[in-house]
Amino acid sequence: MTIKILSPQLANQIAAGEVVERPASVVKELIENSLDAGASKVEIDIEAGGIKLIRIRDNGSGIAEQQLPLALARHATSKIDQLADLEAVATLGFRGEALASIASVSRLTLSSATAGADMGWAAVSAGRDMAVELKPVAHPVGTTVEVRDLFFNTPARRKFLRTENTEYGRLDEVIKKVALSRFDVGFTLRHNQRSQRSLLPATTQLEQERRVADLVGPAFMQQALFVDLHSAELRLWGWLGLPTFSRSQADLQHFYVNGRAIRDKVVSHAVRQAYHDVLYHGRHPAYVLFLEMPAAEVDVNVHPTKHEVRFRDSRHLHGFITSSIKRTVAADRPADRLAQTALGSPAAAPLERDDLSGQSSLALRSQPAAALSSRVGGVTGSQGIDSSAAIESFRALYGVPGAAEVRDADPFANTAAVDIPPLGFAVAQLHGVFILAQNAHGLVIVDTHAAHERIVYERLKVAFEGEGVVAQPLLVPESLAVSEREADLVEEAAALLAELGIRVERSGRESVVVRQIPALLRGSQVESLVRDLLADLLAHGVSERVAEQRNELLSTMACHGSVRANRKLTIAEMNALLRDMEVTERSGQCNHGRPTWTQLSMAELDKLFMRGR
Amino acid sequence: MKFSLEREALLKPLQMVVGVVERRQTLPILSNVLLTLRDGRLSVTATDLEVEIVGYAAVSGELEEGEVTIPARKFVDICRSLPDRAMVSFASADGRAQVKSGRSRFTLSTLPANEFPSVDSGDSSATVAIASAALKKLIEATAFAMAQQDVRYYLNGMLWELTADNLRVVATDGHRMALADHPCESSVAETSKSILPRKGVVELSRLLGDDEQIEIQLGGNHLRIATPGFQFISKLVDGAYPDYQRVLPKGGDKIIEGDRAELKQAFSRTAILSNEKYRGIKLNLVAGQLLLTANNPEQEQAEEEVAVDYSGEELELGFNVSYLIDVVNALKGEKIRLTLVDANSSALIEDPQQGSALYVVMPMRL
Repeated sequence: MTIKILSPQLANQIAAGEVVERPASVVKELIENSLDAGASKVEIDIEAGGIKLIRIRDNGSGIAEQQLPLALARHATSKIDQLADLEAVATLGFRGEALASIASVSRLTLSSATAGADMGWAAVSAGRDMAVELKPVAHPVGTTVEVRDLFFNTPARRKFLRTENTEYGRLDEVIKKVALSRFDVGFTLRHNQRSQRSLLPATTQLEQERRVADLVGPAFMQQALFVDLHSAELRLWGWLGLPTFSRSQADLQHFYVNGRAIRDKVVSHAVRQAYHDVLYHGRHPAYVLFLEMPAAEVDVNVHPTKHEVRFRDSRHLHGFITSSIKRTVAADRPADRLAQTALGSPAAAPLERDDLSGQSSLALRSQPAAALSSRVGGVTGSQGIDSSAAIESFRALYGVPGAAEVRDADPFANTAAVDIPPLGFAVAQLHGVFILAQNAHGLVIVDTHAAHERIVYERLKVAFEGEGVVAQPLLVPESLAVSEREADLVEEAAALLAELGIRVERSGRESVVVRQIPALLRGSQVESLVRDLLADLLAHGVSERVAEQRNELLSTMACHGSVRANRKLTIAEMNALLRDMEVTERSGQCNHGRPTWTQLSMAELDKLFMRGR
Repeated sequence: MKFSLEREALLKPLQMVVGVVERRQTLPILSNVLLTLRDGRLSVTATDLEVEIVGYAAVSGELEEGEVTIPARKFVDICRSLPDRAMVSFASADGRAQVKSGRSRFTLSTLPANEFPSVDSGDSSATVAIASAALKKLIEATAFAMAQQDVRYYLNGMLWELTADNLRVVATDGHRMALADHPCESSVAETSKSILPRKGVVELSRLLGDDEQIEIQLGGNHLRIATPGFQFISKLVDGAYPDYQRVLPKGGDKIIEGDRAELKQAFSRTAILSNEKYRGIKLNLVAGQLLLTANNPEQEQAEEEVAVDYSGEELELGFNVSYLIDVVNALKGEKIRLTLVDANSSALIEDPQQGSALYVVMPMRL
């Protein structure tokens, strides 16, 4: 075989293999082009799952006539110009490959008009021969890319395509991802001439939340916390699913770095760690998060599809993400959630959160706030909750006798002047398992054991953290065989390990000796702990293993040290528990990630009995 | 097979062996005991494939020789709940065993005796003669320090180090160590080391009586003790026990002597307010006095002052109080002596009058 230079067409097709894998990847590249062109509206037309036709029309800046053939050429782009640009890429694309690659495996028409031009031009290319033909065309300002018969000239690729529905599903997934990243852009999606999605630009937080609900499901939005945190040059914002809204698969995890959807080991590990100890075993957190950082701090030129990125300072970033999320999840108190879910925040009062699906939102928007308030029993004003009206109505409803004689027993007696705490006051205990409490919105049901377990656990954690590290030197040191890299690490990270109460010394090229462990972890398996620790340090530069193991222990202690089911509680005890829950971090879930309480609002209760229909 | 025996006579060998039978089994026959009737003697055998114990009882009267296996716990529970001095008659045929006593009748399922595994005892290479009470004392003095389910499997047992005129037993779990010696006559010329598994140690100490002279036969991978009342065979742990000599602290110059009972009570009281998870207490030494302090996460505090013989410099160090309590419980003398080097080195604890047992405890960094 003699060595030859490949023809440009063949080279293009090979490159297309990396970028253009299936219709979904075509759509991704084309939408990104539209967004980079500054479009505020993107229309996507699909036929037969994208195999037959993909048409994407935007109202971006457009391409001038003489540049159209160039746009289809390989390594031609307007997005970057010199090496310095590559180091701080602000656009989604920059490789100058996508259009050329797509053109080489499909019949492509690129029509465009720029502002000020008197007519639009279309460039038509059909596969391999790459002869671009220019012709005038009527076109508004913006660009339309029409991709027909994808892979018509590469039967091997075509064979790997799945059914129309599957391909459409993946394509829809891509559009979801993009639509989540750009709230300021409107998207419409039609499949086989039928409208599938139509997303208006969302500017306010409420509109954004509605879009998120639309794209990832209203259930997520109902149980999500909004975060917006800054640290120097980093900003992390978006929505975090409550630990109780966990998934069995990691399929509801959307992370964007500067508007680019990515899958990254550092990020997912950081988030996972932040959710440690509130998530049910084996479940995955759900989130839609946006990280904004200086473009120079992140390298996107890692993979042609740009799913992977590299961070300059991944350790710092890891810490930032973990601590931000941890704080947000920990700070979730019953009061916040009630304000959010049951009543809607004052700003969103006319709109019930249940209605994030968007469909009937117009009708509800016009409904006066008072109508809703009366349903829940008296929400007035925009600041906090005026409870007296509600209490009065309850009293009337249940015929509670006069305040004087039951002053001690009836916690509601004195509340005319005092606000009802978020979780309300205990009414009774059900089968020794649940506490029933009455708050401003309706009925609160609390799992006694789960709630108490979390309270005891958090207390133990605080107590043990305050004590500092107590270390137990080993009488018989334990030696481990490790890799040379890990043994090096032991020497490098000696100070870090000492902080954790562990002393490991190198005893040979590939062996280390454990001389001291934290006293708390006396009974645990030293070998696997140290191995996991080193593996973490190698991969992420930080490790929470010791804290995790310690927490596991404390969690068991908490489990044994908290009230069990079938323990009769007095009203005073139950109220004390409710008050503790209100001030305890992460009290929404027990140590194992099970929810500790739930709210049944008056509206929901009414619904059960068809009241007021 | 057929025999009759008084309840007490039957129960004695049964209770001797039943501790070996594990509660949960994957091999059904291991939850059974083997009953063998031969030459007027009933042997009851139980095994977990590591330890095998045989108990004996003499049988007279009408009998039919044979062997069979029956469920151990059920049989013991039946015999135990029969009235005192009741006669128990046992008969087995066709895969069933019938136990009768007075007006009670029980039918138990059996498994064939030839399927019952026997622990291969092999040849013994050394013999030791020792009084059973002395051996029992050795085990009691050290057994608490054995590890439990440690990944370093060789720590889940007790080291028996035999020289021509001495038997030394050592147990450690990696945090503390116990060591005890007893003179004895043995047939070994050089030092022989073997590790008896934890379960073997526990069962053996239950079997040992008070005044008997027993003979221990040590083989390459087993240990056997045969007496008229029982036979005990245990496999040995195949592994290298850590070099305990290196662990013994040397050059300790700070010597504290105190009353054992007084210290024991002080330790137990202080322990109440120590951190329940790692049980740390602080020891402050000044001349003539030992001050114990314990704190728990609730910020509660215990303080104890104990008068001791001490004339060295002031010293502060931490210990896991459970380890100390274990040691003062294992020692039997009136006084105890602690020998220390510094706050980071292990402490040696012993009885100043009779030095047959030594204990080493690692301090803790509080």
